[in-house]
Amino acid sequence: MSQFSFVEATDWQCAACNQPLEATKVQVTYLKSAFHVELMTCPKCGFTLIPEDLAVGKMLEVEQLLEDK
Amino acid sequence: MNQIQLRELESKCIQEEYPFCSAACPIHVDVRAFMASLAKGDTRGARRVLDRTMPFPEILGRICDQPCRSQCKRVEIDAPLAIGRLEQFCVGATNTVIKLPKLPSKGGKFAILGAGLSGMTAALDLSRKGRPATIFTSSASPGGSLQQLEESILPGKVFAHAQEMLAHYGVEIQTSINMNQENITALVHEYDAVYCDLDDLDQSLLPFAPNTVDAITLATDQAGCFAGGGKTAEGSFSPVYQAEQGRRAALSIERFIQNVSMTAQREKEGACATRMYTSIEGIAPTAEITPGDEPAGYTAEEAKNEAGRCIQCECLECVKQCVYLQEYKEYPKPWIRKIFNSQTIVQGTRAANKMINACSLCGQCSVICPNDFPVAEVCRSSRVDLVETGHMPPSPHEFALEDMEFSLSDYCALVRHQPGTTRSSYVFYPGCQLSGSNPEAVKQTYAFLRDTLGGGVGLLLGCCGIPAHWAGRDQLFAETMEAFTKDVERLGNPTVITACTSCLSVFKEFVPNMNTVSLWNILDKVDLPTQTTKPARALTLHDPCTTREQSELRASVRSLCEKLKIEVVEHDFTGETTDCCGYGGLMQYANRKLGEKAVARKAERSELDGLAYCAMCRDNLAAHGRPVAHLLDYLFATTEDDPLSRTNPGYSRRHENRARLKSDLLANLWQEETIERPAHTAIKIQLNAEVEQLLNNRLILLEDLQKVIHHAENSGSYLLNPNNGHRLAKYRPIRVTYWVKYEPIEEGFLVHNGYSHRMILPEDQK
Repeated sequence: MSQFSFVEATDWQCAACNQPLEATKVQVTYLKSAFHVELMTCPKCGFTLIPEDLAVGKMLEVEQLLEDK
Repeated sequence: MNQIQLRELESKCIQEEYPFCSAACPIHVDVRAFMASLAKGDTRGARRVLDRTMPFPEILGRICDQPCRSQCKRVEIDAPLAIGRLEQFCVGATNTVIKLPKLPSKGGKFAILGAGLSGMTAALDLSRKGRPATIFTSSASPGGSLQQLEESILPGKVFAHAQEMLAHYGVEIQTSINMNQENITALVHEYDAVYCDLDDLDQSLLPFAPNTVDAITLATDQAGCFAGGGKTAEGSFSPVYQAEQGRRAALSIERFIQNVSMTAQREKEGACATRMYTSIEGIAPTAEITPGDEPAGYTAEEAKNEAGRCIQCECLECVKQCVYLQEYKEYPKPWIRKIFNSQTIVQGTRAANKMINACSLCGQCSVICPNDFPVAEVCRSSRVDLVETGHMPPSPHEFALEDMEFSLSDYCALVRHQPGTTRSSYVFYPGCQLSGSNPEAVKQTYAFLRDTLGGGVGLLLGCCGIPAHWAGRDQLFAETMEAFTKDVERLGNPTVITACTSCLSVFKEFVPNMNTVSLWNILDKVDLPTQTTKPARALTLHDPCTTREQSELRASVRSLCEKLKIEVVEHDFTGETTDCCGYGGLMQYANRKLGEKAVARKAERSELDGLAYCAMCRDNLAAHGRPVAHLLDYLFATTEDDPLSRTNPGYSRRHENRARLKSDLLANLWQEETIERPAHTAIKIQLNAEVEQLLNNRLILLEDLQKVIHHAENSGSYLLNPNNGHRLAKYRPIRVTYWVKYEPIEEGFLVHNGYSHRMILPEDQK
């Protein structure tokens, strides 16, 4: 997951900033690990979008792997 | 768990013990595998099994005296397998399939005096091990007394074949030797060790004092001189015993040369006892198949059918019933080895974590196991170990522990004397799950107990702490138990009446001095309510797994059913062998799919609709789609609808029910107000049944949705889809980030979806 991009076109916009989301390199962490991934975020406030399929798919898989380390 | 404990536990599991036939076989031929191959029509596969263990299959396969036959489990059903006849068929129909390897020479020189089957076997085994052996016999060719057998039983070609085999492994055979005293003495001195085959030597010429042969090692009073073969202890001539003696001698000679213990670990050489257990329940009797043409022996078809009668003896009694062991494709011996390896790993993946956390700790397997293998104890202590070493993964138990925390919080927990009194002879303890599942039953049961029992009946709402115990959180569990004990003390130590059998099992084990009694025992002793109802049809009774050791309680439930005139049909897995519904041990949280399999197993034990007296059993069986009522539904007519049709309330409703039960009871009985719940709980949420089910499976509570929407609407921080006006918001209360897709409606919000993750996003990293 460390070098992956999960960027995809989305209709979601940041309501607070009235901005379309943009592909951004961010760091997500869990337990003692950090991953650099590309996700859609609001360019102004940084609100990060995690789509459902990512949360219940790859992300869950990595969480489970890390929990057994 | 250390190595010694591991071995002790491993030895309780007997699945790897010899089946009865192999144990009785002096050379432990894998008869079970032999039969399995023949039953498939794989005669070469069967021959492979013989080649692997038998020294001379061409000989032994034809004349084996089959001591295994009398031990065949089929003896108890109908007739034992015709093992000898099947061996004859196999060696008659095949040639050698595998030749065992010959190890490089390790030196030394060894003499075999006498060329009977034991001498030939000793020579063969020694040569295979790289110990050059020479056979000396006064006869013109090897075979000893076997040569006297008729050609129809043992054709001459088999001796030629045996000689070829011996030559292949480098055995030298010296025939027509004058075996006089002088020559024998010379051989004993010349060779590093000798073996005397008593089947093919003049007994007056033996180079050692008779009667000094050690039964275990075959050593004699002459160092380096071994002897065996001849007649068995019972005085008969047994070919397979001959082979075993030769094999035993070769092993002794190898140990003698290496100068290691001659006796250590030889218990399983030769015919031995086995601890194997095999159930013959449900196995239909079948007649032994006799060959149509007796002298010619079996045809291929006959052999296949006779071998097909083998029941493939093994134990697996626990695995047959347990969905958990089936899921992980293990029986306890390799299972515990996996756990041990996972627990002792220094770095890398703890591969057994999921397995450790998925067991329901229900103890059914231990009751079924002939040796009471303690799967549940091993799992629970492994969980404690994971917690104490900081390796317990957060996700399997966190939801259940937070649910427990909520049940124990001021929103749900309550300790009171009966309204208008200041002392309690009894206190009713419904438990967290009944309060969540069926608050109306709690209210009515409490009213009944107040009316029926004298001396004041207090009320204690809370959680016994069993989720913490199951999760291996021993400290949290101890704290919970201590707080509970103090609550009971504060009420003046009344007798605690529990509606939940899990609570009762916990109290009996951890606060044995406290007066506790099951609600069912109490109800069985008093006059029943007047407004009871009963189902229109017969039901099957589902005992909860925590009643496994509570026979008195189970009897009270049956007695109550009788008084209520409920027709109960017992199925085979009630009482001591009852199944868990998937909640036990927090199985359904650690492995949801496995929890579903567990409840499916429980439901499918009977085709009838069910009657439960554990709220979790009731709700899980209902979620599985099986009509099921709770016994209290009939005692107190808690619902106007058919109790069998009540659906599973799910986690969210159970959560809300507990809080509402407290506020209702406080208001109605004690005229008190409950502490106010947080602002987010005022948010009105609508969602369809499909979304509700999805969120339930994802362990997302209504209150989690409320927290997210409350946060989003107050901060204005959410995503918006301009095409349809849907909003997508997230919030991380503690360790989980919840996402909710919703839209505002006239009254509150309509939720379309929800999901969660544990990874921390940049904006939540502090």
